[in-house]
Amino acid sequence: MSLRLSTAPHVHNPVTTQRLMICVIIALLPCTAVGIYAFGLPALILVAVSCVSAVVFELLWQVIAHQEVRIKDCSALVTGLILGLNLPAAAPWWVAVIGSGFAILIVKQLFGGLGDNFLNPAMAARAVLLASWPVHMTHYVAPTFFAGTLGFDAVSTATLLVTKSAALQDLFLGNIPGTIGEVSKIAILAGFLFLLVTKTVSWRIPVVMVGSVALFSWAFGGDPLMAVLSGGVLFGAVFMATDYVTSPMTPWGQVIYAFMIGLIVTLIRQFGSYPEGVTYGILLMNICTPLIDRFLPRHIYGHVKTEGKKEAKQA
Amino acid sequence: MQKLTFRRGIHPLHGAHEGKLPTRNMPIEDYVSDSVTLIMSMNIGAPAVPCVKKGDQVKVGQVIGQASGFMSVPVHASISGEVTAVEQIPYLGPAPVMAVSIKNDFSDTWVDDLKPLGNVERVDPKLVIPAIRDAGIVGMGGASFPTHVKLTFREGAYCDTIIVNGAECETHLTADHRLMIENSERIVDGLRAVMRALNVEKGVIAIEDNKPEAIAAMEKAATGREGVRVQPMVTKYPQGGEKQLIEAVTGRQVPSGGLPIDVHVVVLNVGTCAAIADAVIDGKPLISRVTTVTGCVREPKNLRLRIGTIAEDAIGKCGGFSETPGKVFFGGAMTGLCLPNISVPTAKSTNGIVAFNEKESRSKDESPCIRCGRCVAACPIGLNPYQIKVAADAGNFELARKLHVNDCILCGSCAYMCPARRWLTPSFKFAKDKLAAEAKAKAAAAKAEQKGGKAQ
Repeated sequence: MSLRLSTAPHVHNPVTTQRLMICVIIALLPCTAVGIYAFGLPALILVAVSCVSAVVFELLWQVIAHQEVRIKDCSALVTGLILGLNLPAAAPWWVAVIGSGFAILIVKQLFGGLGDNFLNPAMAARAVLLASWPVHMTHYVAPTFFAGTLGFDAVSTATLLVTKSAALQDLFLGNIPGTIGEVSKIAILAGFLFLLVTKTVSWRIPVVMVGSVALFSWAFGGDPLMAVLSGGVLFGAVFMATDYVTSPMTPWGQVIYAFMIGLIVTLIRQFGSYPEGVTYGILLMNICTPLIDRFLPRHIYGHVKTEGKKEAKQA
Repeated sequence: MQKLTFRRGIHPLHGAHEGKLPTRNMPIEDYVSDSVTLIMSMNIGAPAVPCVKKGDQVKVGQVIGQASGFMSVPVHASISGEVTAVEQIPYLGPAPVMAVSIKNDFSDTWVDDLKPLGNVERVDPKLVIPAIRDAGIVGMGGASFPTHVKLTFREGAYCDTIIVNGAECETHLTADHRLMIENSERIVDGLRAVMRALNVEKGVIAIEDNKPEAIAAMEKAATGREGVRVQPMVTKYPQGGEKQLIEAVTGRQVPSGGLPIDVHVVVLNVGTCAAIADAVIDGKPLISRVTTVTGCVREPKNLRLRIGTIAEDAIGKCGGFSETPGKVFFGGAMTGLCLPNISVPTAKSTNGIVAFNEKESRSKDESPCIRCGRCVAACPIGLNPYQIKVAADAGNFELARKLHVNDCILCGSCAYMCPARRWLTPSFKFAKDKLAAEAKAKAAAAKAEQKGGKAQ
């Protein structure tokens, strides 16, 4: 009889990287469904192209670079899905392909693959697309809800951040112009609830980030509720700021990170030339994450002054 | 009563009730095997030196290995019979160890010079610690630190609280649980003996709240005993870690690199306390202990094994393997040590023999760290395990030291939680061993230099 020798621990939590990624995908399903329902077939095609191309780029890289093929961990699928949901429904399909390629090849794989990228791949890709094809990336259409047509006869509109008016009810249900994923706040909250229940993410980053946006909008004289519900704040807080790889690992680090995102988002919205600041807020704080992880002091057991030490000194 | 706990930590095998279900209601059964093999290095520190030879007749309780120095305890024959071998045998570590094998004559004759000291409340306190040393008692929770050393303080140190560790936070093990239910008086007696020996007024028996029967039994036994109380603890791993237990019960933290006595606490396992009672009241040395035999065995049991029982015999007593085992280890699943084969004997610290089937034993491949922070949230010490892992894997042990790898208690919580199945704990053990070896070499070099200087 031959026995295996291994070091402890001999048991593991059943949660694996793949399971966490699948949880994120499930949490994104309500947003995806509402987005496709709101914007019709073009949205479906865009999301599908984005997902497929992200996985294909990952596969290609890993094959060409003679790396172990790890597309089964679903991380590329998550990137593709998030990127797809970050595009306006009217964007052409090749924008999704270029975005996925940039996210997977440049942002993720060139820096060492899963876990080693310092920026959120989907966020960075969105920023690049926004800078390169501003017209396509800001051509928002009002939701059609499959009303008669599947084409783009829908009226082009500015986002709420420009018009600054919408009924709260419409904001919640998704009857507003915007990117595919961010329109329905209820769908985003349902996803957040799922992530919390499955313990995929902690409440800290989303709650602190949203709170921070509300606080600073109020401080700068805006309407906190409107600020939180419009644009990509909620979607960004739940699905993008919480990206494990690019957010701090310690609880207090996460609080600082999320709080600062809220500040940057509000500063860009109030004083910048862009109507939306979520992308840049998250990207800027992604860059600060290693610093936060490195320099935030931690209480390590036995390194604080204890009663025993004090007494020993007196003695 | 309010339940106490420490910061962070995990709930291993929570859905599976920590693997304790098959044995938690199994009363302790005595088991004496045909032969035993007693290894001489059953304690941390210097191994004992065999003082019998092949062919000798020995009685139960007879010293067969003498302590070699202060950091050493004697080894006693756990059965009566003929010594069949005194030789080096392979054990759990890389180096072989000296061992004495005895064939049982089943007469169970004890040595006739036992020195019982009687009632622990009336015994001369000065006699307790020598009795503990002579009985060969070591920490029975797994660390096997010589108990008399733990109870002998350096100049100026004092103890105000003794904590009896009945947390049994490890998975699969119920040996301490059963001992607390069935031998509760003995545990309190052992605690009282030490309290009197050290002139300590507070004795706290800390038990996780997943063992209500043990809490009830210990509370009954503690009633009317001076200074002794039972403290229920939150069920969380590693509640029974010495440092965690001290923080939870007293609010004090053992300083980094220090000992519990630095914060005036001594922690004793429940098994150790019972052994102390046997040594003081009856004058009997440590020759048996309760061991949980579980996992893929036909009838999981709690056995009172003679020290040195071969794992195979103990498993045989439990009906043998129920499926082909893939892995067998001593201790719980979080910190247990793997056996190279099942002809390895148990030692004084063997609190469990757990067999895993082929599927449970399959090792998982490491995948990339996704920086999810689960290791950080789990670490009971407050370390950043992922950072230390990067440093250790790169061979940068100096950086690992700066990241406080030496404060790691190797509890395995981070590795248990890691979704990428990274081998965190093994890396930390490796780094700690490397650093210890380096420090030792440095100290030796400094000593040699000093000597050289003096000679000139």
